[in-house]
Amino acid sequence: MELKDIRRNIDKIDRELLVLLQERMGLALRSAKFKETINDPRREEELLAKAERLNLDLVERSFTRRLLKSIVEESKRLQKKERQLVAFQGEHGAYSDVAARKLIPGGACIPCMEFMDVFRGVEEGHFDLGVVPVENSLEGAVTQVNDLLTTTDLKVIAEAKIRVNHCLLATDVTDYRDIRLVYSHPQALAQCRGFLMRNHLEPRPYYDTAGAAKMLARENPRSAAAIASALCAELYDLEIIKEGIEDGPSNTTRFLLLARDPYGARGEKTSIIFATPHESGRLHAVLQLFAEAGINLTRIASMPLRSDPDNYCFFLDFEGDENDAAVKPVLEKMERMTISLKRLGSYPANGTEN
Amino acid sequence: MNNLKLSTREPEHRTVVDVSGVQVGKGFTVIAGPCSVESESQAVETARAVKASGADMMRGGAFKPRSSPYSFQGLGLTGLKILARARAETGLPIVTEVIDPRDVSWVAEFADVLQIGTRNMQNYSLLKEVGMIGKPVLLKRGMYSTLEEWLNCAEYILSEGNPNVILCERGIRTFEKYTRNTLDLSAVPAMRELTHLPIIIDPTHSTGRVSLIAPMSLASVAAGADGLIIEVHNNPAEALCDADQALTPDLFKDMMQQLRPLHSFMEKLPHLKTSHPAV
Repeated sequence: MELKDIRRNIDKIDRELLVLLQERMGLALRSAKFKETINDPRREEELLAKAERLNLDLVERSFTRRLLKSIVEESKRLQKKERQLVAFQGEHGAYSDVAARKLIPGGACIPCMEFMDVFRGVEEGHFDLGVVPVENSLEGAVTQVNDLLTTTDLKVIAEAKIRVNHCLLATDVTDYRDIRLVYSHPQALAQCRGFLMRNHLEPRPYYDTAGAAKMLARENPRSAAAIASALCAELYDLEIIKEGIEDGPSNTTRFLLLARDPYGARGEKTSIIFATPHESGRLHAVLQLFAEAGINLTRIASMPLRSDPDNYCFFLDFEGDENDAAVKPVLEKMERMTISLKRLGSYPANGTEN
Repeated sequence: MNNLKLSTREPEHRTVVDVSGVQVGKGFTVIAGPCSVESESQAVETARAVKASGADMMRGGAFKPRSSPYSFQGLGLTGLKILARARAETGLPIVTEVIDPRDVSWVAEFADVLQIGTRNMQNYSLLKEVGMIGKPVLLKRGMYSTLEEWLNCAEYILSEGNPNVILCERGIRTFEKYTRNTLDLSAVPAMRELTHLPIIIDPTHSTGRVSLIAPMSLASVAAGADGLIIEVHNNPAEALCDADQALTPDLFKDMMQQLRPLHSFMEKLPHLKTSHPAV
């Protein structure tokens, strides 16, 4: 091993240490939701003693204690800042993370494995807010999320439209001419099929776009690249070989911000979910209410009811606040015409941005 | 010229190459920009300047085939990314040289026209590679090549299924030393007789002298060329290559003010009996 190889490995380890620290800080912030006070000397001593028991020849015990102590101090400092905890599904750098950062600029974004974890986590108070994708301009509704929306008590308090900007990422030691394999979520690979074919690259499905970027940074497999967001390039210290490699025209995903309490002020948009009896003209009658009141609909989608697969529920977004003079009577009439009507909330409207 | 199945002229047919909306072979196309991409500010500033003077496309090298291995070789991928930014800023399509067959698909991801330089005119594996890519190709004449050899090289690209070839005369080696090369302007009417492909002139490399660029550009218009490719640098004194032959944006602007009216004037003249009709 030459000096430059050794240095490269050191750089790689430092990067991994920092990525792991990022995860540890996230966990520390989450733990604060369960604790009465931030200071817990018994737990601290336990943690330090446990680490010291590890017999690491090159990492001396006194240093272990000093290092961990300073990490614990930093965790406590972060906990005191009381940043809002924003849950999203996926790894750091996922498009949901991009949306969460845009919606809550000062928030602490916390990754979750499943959409269910985001919903339950916010419902149970482990997180302050949750960000979930609800629909994509190319692929349509995100069914798992729409399904969870039908049963949750959470309120929608904001929306964000995020332009999906797929980037080809590689580690800085990788020559783009050597790239043969490209890891990413199957949907991202499908959206970049033309690019992959033109450059003779082999797609390799991975569980998540950001997960693929993270793996690349950690393991640096030979001749490999990943398709993920530009944010991943920053988070995992990867080089953007090319931005905007998706085949189709602009592809946006709409995200909703979920909270336990409704949006405090007048919203510009409202989301509801309803089901009508299985009789002719019922859906039409409901939609007619909106037409007659001159309310513009911005989304209408149907989904089979999990509880009753022969029947459907409808997702409706429209302009205006649920307490507006034009809207209120429409919703009151709807109560009598539907078998279920769920008000997800009114919130500010948001246009597409990069 | 028996083997030139695709490039030789069919009566009345003239190829027009569409480069992201710019029609090469119709009207007069001016491509301008630095010899090589040196930095984002240099590329973007030059792109803005040449656009303001009426250029239709931007040129700029990311991979440079230099006579000496110790000369600046270009910024590579970084240069391509900068060119893409210059296009995003100005909307000008990008012309850039490709010198390695392994780079062809990647350069095509960033550029609108792939340039084959004079030294690579007979690099047949490179010609085949660009022939397989749908992007337009600017094929420069080899500095020691006859018109027939040049057309044979165009034939390589066409035969791979890429009909979008633009020929570029850039001067040939003669015993004259005052100019860097000798501009063979007769190549324009000669190629009109031989092929349906559009042909443009490079007055920069053919003369190698700033003072000769404007006169030869005007002569190219009069000779019936389809366009020009000219080196313009926002600060020629500090250029990393070909410093003494690049126009400043001001000189380029002055030249363009003569060039466009001359072209309009030529368009209005009745066609000579011996010349082929313009499209």
